[in-house]
Amino acid sequence: MSQNRQYELVYIVSPDASEQAIAELHTQVEQIVQRFNGTLDKTENWGRRKLAYEIGKAREGTYVVETITGSGEMMKEIDRRLRVTDSIIRHLIVRVDEAIRVADRLRDQRKATQARRRVARGLPPEPSPSERRSDRDMDDSDDLGLEGTDQR
Amino acid sequence: MSEERGGRGRGGKKDDKGKGEGRPRGGGFFRRRRVCKFCADKIDYINYKDVRLLSPFIPERGKIQPRRISGTCAKHQRALQIAISRARQLALIPYVTD
Repeated sequence: MSQNRQYELVYIVSPDASEQAIAELHTQVEQIVQRFNGTLDKTENWGRRKLAYEIGKAREGTYVVETITGSGEMMKEIDRRLRVTDSIIRHLIVRVDEAIRVADRLRDQRKATQARRRVARGLPPEPSPSERRSDRDMDDSDDLGLEGTDQR
Repeated sequence: MSEERGGRGRGGKKDDKGKGEGRPRGGGFFRRRRVCKFCADKIDYINYKDVRLLSPFIPERGKIQPRRISGTCAKHQRALQIAISRARQLALIPYVTD
């Protein structure tokens, strides 16, 4: 069970590092993941970004986001490695599976409530796109009415 | 007894109304938006990487906007706090701006 935790790893590579160095770092991470029988689900390279504040002497850095599924031990090892690597100026590991599960449950609950209420009003459970838009328009006109424009 | 209690209850309500009326009188005809942005937009997970989502809640100084101003609900403000502090660690958002 602890093997199936999903983590998000974000690291900022120093602006001095070459493209090749960044690719190497990525393969390093990949190797650790493979060694611990995890899976690397997604890699996103945001490219060079200006930092909101200086870290050391760097004013910008290359952001890389990796989504990894695996154990906590594995993330510990990755954390240790990144901490030791000089060309990485900052990194962050966040466990995301539980947050995503909560978000999914909330979304499903909301959908179920909406469907139940719609059925209770004698409508089909799923609103059509055009219907949704008209709902919003009605809300807007209500607001305008309250603010005193003479729409009615 | 019960009548008295009812009277008190009503009195409390009157007080609330008084406060409600006091606000527009002070600030002109301005209806403050008191809706939580995340509830209205149905955002369940506040992503720390989404700077555009977080930036409306960070005024110039770089502090987190309090709930009484932004109107965010308690649940989402808590999630927002976490998201902002993560974004700060990643230098997506400043800690302070002078």
